[in-house]
Amino acid sequence: MVKNDASGEFFFKNNEKAAIGSVLYRQHLKLIEKNRLAEFAGYLMPLWFSSISAEHKAVRESAGLFDCTHMGVLEFTGEHARNFLNTIATNDIGRLKPASAQYSYILDAAGNVLDDIIIYHRSQDKFMVVVNAANELKIKAYLRALLNNEAILDVENPTRKLGYEPVIRDMRDTKSGSDCRVDIALQGPASMDLLLSMVKKENTKEQFQNLKSFHLIEIELEGIGCIISRTGYTGAKVGYELFVHPEKAAELWGLLLEKGEAFGVVPCGLGARDSLRIEAGLPLYGHELEGEFNISPFEAGYGWAVKLEKDSFIGRAAMQRKSGGWDMQVARIELPGEKGIRPARQNDGILDENGNCIGWVLSCAGVGDKQIALAYISKEIAEENKPVGLYYLARSKSQIEKGKKSKIEKNEKTEPDISGEIVTRFAKF
Amino acid sequence: MVIEGLFYTTEHEWAKIDGDTATIGITHYAQEQLGEITFVELPEPGKQTEQKGELAVVESSKAASDVYSPVTGKVTEVNSDLESAPEKINEDCYNTGWICTMKITDKDSIKNLMDSKQYEAYLKGL
Repeated sequence: MVKNDASGEFFFKNNEKAAIGSVLYRQHLKLIEKNRLAEFAGYLMPLWFSSISAEHKAVRESAGLFDCTHMGVLEFTGEHARNFLNTIATNDIGRLKPASAQYSYILDAAGNVLDDIIIYHRSQDKFMVVVNAANELKIKAYLRALLNNEAILDVENPTRKLGYEPVIRDMRDTKSGSDCRVDIALQGPASMDLLLSMVKKENTKEQFQNLKSFHLIEIELEGIGCIISRTGYTGAKVGYELFVHPEKAAELWGLLLEKGEAFGVVPCGLGARDSLRIEAGLPLYGHELEGEFNISPFEAGYGWAVKLEKDSFIGRAAMQRKSGGWDMQVARIELPGEKGIRPARQNDGILDENGNCIGWVLSCAGVGDKQIALAYISKEIAEENKPVGLYYLARSKSQIEKGKKSKIEKNEKTEPDISGEIVTRFAKF
Repeated sequence: MVIEGLFYTTEHEWAKIDGDTATIGITHYAQEQLGEITFVELPEPGKQTEQKGELAVVESSKAASDVYSPVTGKVTEVNSDLESAPEKINEDCYNTGWICTMKITDKDSIKNLMDSKQYEAYLKGL
């Protein structure tokens, strides 16, 4: 299941297991039928409660509540925790102050991205790391391999060993200790007022109100202990992630929905989570990061999270090479999307003004009467306001019979089906 | 929501049979699974297809789904309202959300369809 070769590449294959409900499963079934839940990373998760567009709109105008309890939450403690994280992650932990958070990458020694993560610095020698649900088992296997000296740290020095160990704990596992956490996200402009109404202590209210982006506090909401961080995956300027004990998650979820009603808060599913992050330009591992094109942090627009100047980290040599230059990058593209326009999908072609294929769609979402696509395109064309065309790949056999391609290669010339333009790489709301 | 008197397929198409004419659409269950439908590719009138042959494509932001012909026959009319208002399938899949009508050329193909009771039982088993 786990293999590591001289190239420094880390191989891992997830075991196929039947999907299980999240800790909020019973809460979801109060609102929607079971067939509205879909398998995602081993969990049965809600796709939407009312509709993707209504939930998307609510997050932009009031607020939305997301079940993120499927996300992996790991704790790193002890005197070696800081050094260990600085070795396995690309960003500089030295710059991370207590009560703040940092976006980072975990690479293998060959420089492949194994996951994008957020590291939360809770206190001296105490870190919480949130990993993608789909990558959690792989990251845990990778950490085990590192601790057992089974994974290569440095391809140029394959015998290099860590020589120290942090204490690593799965914070979602209630058997691992008393301080356990799962993630619930509350995102959108009304989220601050709702949470404020649930903070009872006066001095904490002010502390919470002053919480800045990528900072955290540990307070109680209606008596429920939470780590609250001003982070999220929607591009909302005001948005929080609430880390709560798994056994308190259902109670907190219920309270947020009940008290949130007056604030316009609605429960949101994976559909709106995806359309919101696409609209904001945020990458999804496997699509805008790594995936079939092996997209690097530089190409994704996140070179700033790879600190080549810091002390050595796993995958640094490969990152150094990749930082030298790249031909393709992730761009955000606006396309028409009113009713009756075929939605763009992954691998559809992006064409330049002359109809030459310059790359492919990675993700796309309908937002109002527009579609926002994230695409992997030639760097030289990836300039704001540049017009581009979109070529739909065949969706069915009969379209292939009519001459539609089922695959389009770079530089292949064809007629665009619809036209759009490149917009700013990221958007804030 | 299953309507009595219609015939159903395991792929969640419905057919209303009237003599040798069939009106065809997708079921409530199918439209619910797809979510907000934003695009429908209609068949060309005159298109001939076997039972289970590709008839149309219905797309939502989450998925593109083929609509297969419940019967063997020839497309006579298409609901061109769906080109600009595909959401009619979400709103009223058994009426204004119909996709096309067909002239049935092999009446035996109807025997392979489920009636409303059988389809309801089939949905329960999913």
